[in-house]
Amino acid sequence: MRRQLILTAICLVFTAGFIAADSEIPQRPEELVYGSIEWNIPDADALRTELSNGIPVYAMRDGQFPLVSIAVYFRGGRYLVPVGQEGLHTIADEVWRTGGAGELTASELDEELDFLAAILSTNIGDVTGSVSLNVLSKDLEAAMALMMDVLTKPRFQEDRFAKAKDDLIQGMKTRNDNTASIEGREWSRLIYGDEFFLNRLPTQASVDAITSRQAKDFATSLIRADNIIVAVSGDFDEAAIKVLLERTIGTLPKLDAPLPAIPQPDHNPEPGVYVVNKEDVNQGRVSYGHIGYRLGDPDQFALLVGNDILGGGGFTARMMKTIRSDEGLAYGAYSSLGFPTTYPGTFRASFQSKSSTCAYAAKLGYDIIGEMRADKVTEEELTVSRNQFVETFPKSFSSAAQTVSIFALDELLGRPHDYWVDYRDKVSAVDADAVLEAFKTRIHPEKMIVLVVGNIAEIMTGHPDHEADFTEFGPVTKLPLRDPMTLEPIVE
Amino acid sequence: MNLRRMSTVAGFVALILLTGLVADANEANVPVTEVTLDNGMKLLLVERHDSPRVAAGWIAHVGSVNEESGVTGIAHLFEHMMFKGTETIGTTDFEAEMEIMAELDAVRAEMEIEYTALREAKRRGDVQGNIYLPENQTPRLAELREKMKKLQEAQREYIVNNEYDKIYTNQGATSLNAGTSSDITVYFVDVPANKLELWFWMESDRLLNAVFREFYSERDVVREERRMRVESDPTAKYDEQFDFMFWGSVPYHHPTIGWPSDVESINRAQAQAFFDTFYAPNNITAALVGDFSSEEAIELAKKYLGRIPAGQTPPPEIITEEIEQLQERRMTATADTNPSVKIRWHAVPFVHQDRYALDVLTAVLNGRTGRLYKAMVEEQTLATGQPYAGFDSFKYAGQFEVGTDLADGVTHEQAEAALLAEIEKLKSEPVSERELAKVKNKELANSFRRLQSNFYLMFQLLIYDVLGNWDFINTSPAKIQAVTADDVMRVANKYFRDEGRNFLSYFRKEGAEEDPEIAALSGQAKSMAKQTITQINQITDPAEIQGLLSQIEAMKGQAPPEFQGALDLIVERAQERLAALAEGTGEEE
Repeated sequence: MRRQLILTAICLVFTAGFIAADSEIPQRPEELVYGSIEWNIPDADALRTELSNGIPVYAMRDGQFPLVSIAVYFRGGRYLVPVGQEGLHTIADEVWRTGGAGELTASELDEELDFLAAILSTNIGDVTGSVSLNVLSKDLEAAMALMMDVLTKPRFQEDRFAKAKDDLIQGMKTRNDNTASIEGREWSRLIYGDEFFLNRLPTQASVDAITSRQAKDFATSLIRADNIIVAVSGDFDEAAIKVLLERTIGTLPKLDAPLPAIPQPDHNPEPGVYVVNKEDVNQGRVSYGHIGYRLGDPDQFALLVGNDILGGGGFTARMMKTIRSDEGLAYGAYSSLGFPTTYPGTFRASFQSKSSTCAYAAKLGYDIIGEMRADKVTEEELTVSRNQFVETFPKSFSSAAQTVSIFALDELLGRPHDYWVDYRDKVSAVDADAVLEAFKTRIHPEKMIVLVVGNIAEIMTGHPDHEADFTEFGPVTKLPLRDPMTLEPIVE
Repeated sequence: MNLRRMSTVAGFVALILLTGLVADANEANVPVTEVTLDNGMKLLLVERHDSPRVAAGWIAHVGSVNEESGVTGIAHLFEHMMFKGTETIGTTDFEAEMEIMAELDAVRAEMEIEYTALREAKRRGDVQGNIYLPENQTPRLAELREKMKKLQEAQREYIVNNEYDKIYTNQGATSLNAGTSSDITVYFVDVPANKLELWFWMESDRLLNAVFREFYSERDVVREERRMRVESDPTAKYDEQFDFMFWGSVPYHHPTIGWPSDVESINRAQAQAFFDTFYAPNNITAALVGDFSSEEAIELAKKYLGRIPAGQTPPPEIITEEIEQLQERRMTATADTNPSVKIRWHAVPFVHQDRYALDVLTAVLNGRTGRLYKAMVEEQTLATGQPYAGFDSFKYAGQFEVGTDLADGVTHEQAEAALLAEIEKLKSEPVSERELAKVKNKELANSFRRLQSNFYLMFQLLIYDVLGNWDFINTSPAKIQAVTADDVMRVANKYFRDEGRNFLSYFRKEGAEEDPEIAALSGQAKSMAKQTITQINQITDPAEIQGLLSQIEAMKGQAPPEFQGALDLIVERAQERLAALAEGTGEEE
């Protein structure tokens, strides 16, 4: 062993605030005096080792409960699905674990895992995925053997494969049943375009075209020494786990054929208002925004703080204050601005309101975005937002499982561990000028897409007491509902 | 998405119950320090020093079950009001606000007179629909509403909006939220370890000095919440009615979010009375889980929470018991959803000794190695997804349910029969030793899994304390361990009576799914075919269809090739319609 696998991880110095019990209760909470917390991020390098086949392992012990977790993270996912086989990653994901493995039929494998009380699950996401195990530490050896069978010898048994296909088809039938799913689907299409991999959705024809062999190959091709990173946490014996990992995951072969690059969106949507009619609801769903930015963007932290003040911060944000608290127009009004590592995210504001007040609430939101681009945010808003990010930061690393998972994904996605080390300093450095500048240059109301789903006739009629009209935001285009099985427009 | 003021936390109660089974009591023991303050408030403390945070919460032993007719939804609306600040928080001038709020209440009382008249007019049939709709507004109401709006604007001058949130957020607290269900109302937040005193300050302040400002606009927010969760959801509105059908006398029959008529009429005085009755410290349990010293926490609790005066009278007891169901009941709903069935029986309240056997029974049915999946997916292809069994035990009553989505071509009757066959098997044969052992193994592992998150542990302690006692988390394992195959058979026979069954069947709404033959067409041809076929199906006079048919025959020769398929389909459907009319099966639309 070249390096001690497990090192003491969390360096945590906690000084409790001293409280005198007989002191007066202050008039306002701002008068309370607190002790300090000194908390440092666990050292990623200290948690990292490599197996003899080169697979990196992040491991962190936590002996509070007699459970152990092993997660195998891999690159690859939905973006690798060939055109015409949409749905392949979903079916591969489902049958990988449920279709039997090694010597065991599907129901034998289910039974073995259940009897061990082990949770073994797979997840094939958009650009990465994982196979993970959680089990009582006493049963680790037995469960690990089953996990290896699933990783390397899945059976993709035909009856379970047929069942997974059928479940996917049944799920597709519900695509137009509620406004939220229509909104999610159309929003993504409008922002990223139909051709982007996130919008290549399964249809009856694409699901019919998938074979169990393709599903099996899709899953197993990702499990190779040059494509995976392992995260281990919980109650394990350091020496024993090293041996166990070497004997199992350490034997996976390398293929050294890099995966294709993750595609980038190439779409310039026409700004304006897009409406989808669903008559039998009394509340409309409204989203507006435009394509956003990737992790590491120079304006990331200014946009992060600014968005928190605009609508990301929930009850402390301007959108919630105006649209919900002052006006009572919506249960929730938010904005979001994510920074994915591998492709640009979106800037999106959204709310739901009774049909007659959708336009008015949208106008209020537009005005708030305009204010963010015209005037500096207040020092109070800045302080609340920055404090929130800085003070809650340790929560991301509050368990061994979270910590090793973050570090494993960093390495998998090429996100430097330093991102976390500098995070709080970068948030703290954001000032009102930076937020204003970022909103002026990176948030573009004139490029926004407005998507409205609901009873369009009622929504367009508006409310006598609240003057507003969606045509103020651009030309109105009616989007057809799509046939749930073909995704072709339903002609009315 | 923010959960704030969710209308029901039945979700996490259910989650807890699913994992609420442990095989070895001695292993997964939670060391809880329990303290009762002089005013009757109970405090539960669990120290854990692995992350510099504290999960902090308190629960009022009240939910929608405690509501009376006319104010349904008040427990939940009240929960929203607890975030509106206090005499100190959320205001620049509380005295000035008091005056305005008194005026607002007076205007509201005058409006109530108008609404009373409108309700009467509606009973007579002089007014149609919801009395709160703009079109039913009387001139006097419009005047009063205008007055109210002015007062609200005047009050807004003094309101520091969402300051309660802002103070917590500024100090690094997260997850500030609350939830209401039929039995409980829980308020929670996650604070940095060095700021525990802030939690005591803030929570004791709102329990002592809460001000229900912005009452009437918050009521509108709750109406929007109901539209979002119930009225604009394809199935929630039917599920609500199924619950209403299921519960007889026990007050679980109304939804936690409240009936629309009630939510729109609740006033501030009613909320104050509700608070005085149900939010006395002797009706509250608080819990802290995380990085703190119990000794210090107890001192802070005495100092801050101890100053809240004990309630004068205990909250009224729920006297009404569930009436025995004499005959099976059935509800059929047609909605935008895949076809499904569920069957529900009355079961037992949370503290009942039969609950452990029902927990084991439920686990025997559930999961991919459970009996329902084996029977309905592997042996017969009846179900889509995974069929399920669920046992929900509330404070005063309980329910047990099985259900499934249907595979294509399977009838509701077939699925119901298969579900009932599994229930009958539980009544007539003991479950196998292997099944019992498997369930107990799973629950042993889950007994540790459920303790891993501080926040989740805090919820469990609080919710168990309302439903029974927090120590359920430590006492239930041995009880589960003791369940035998005979116990499972005994409870199956006791609770799954034929006359106690309640069925809910969902059918997919016609037209929600497109005619596959029309779907196969494209472009203008498709649109033309769809419109014409819809028209044809509405015609009741065979002669009219005959006329249409001859028109199509005449057109067909000149139509472009891409329309030929569509025309063939129209002819086919028109002939079908003719045949149907001839047999007298044509339906009037």
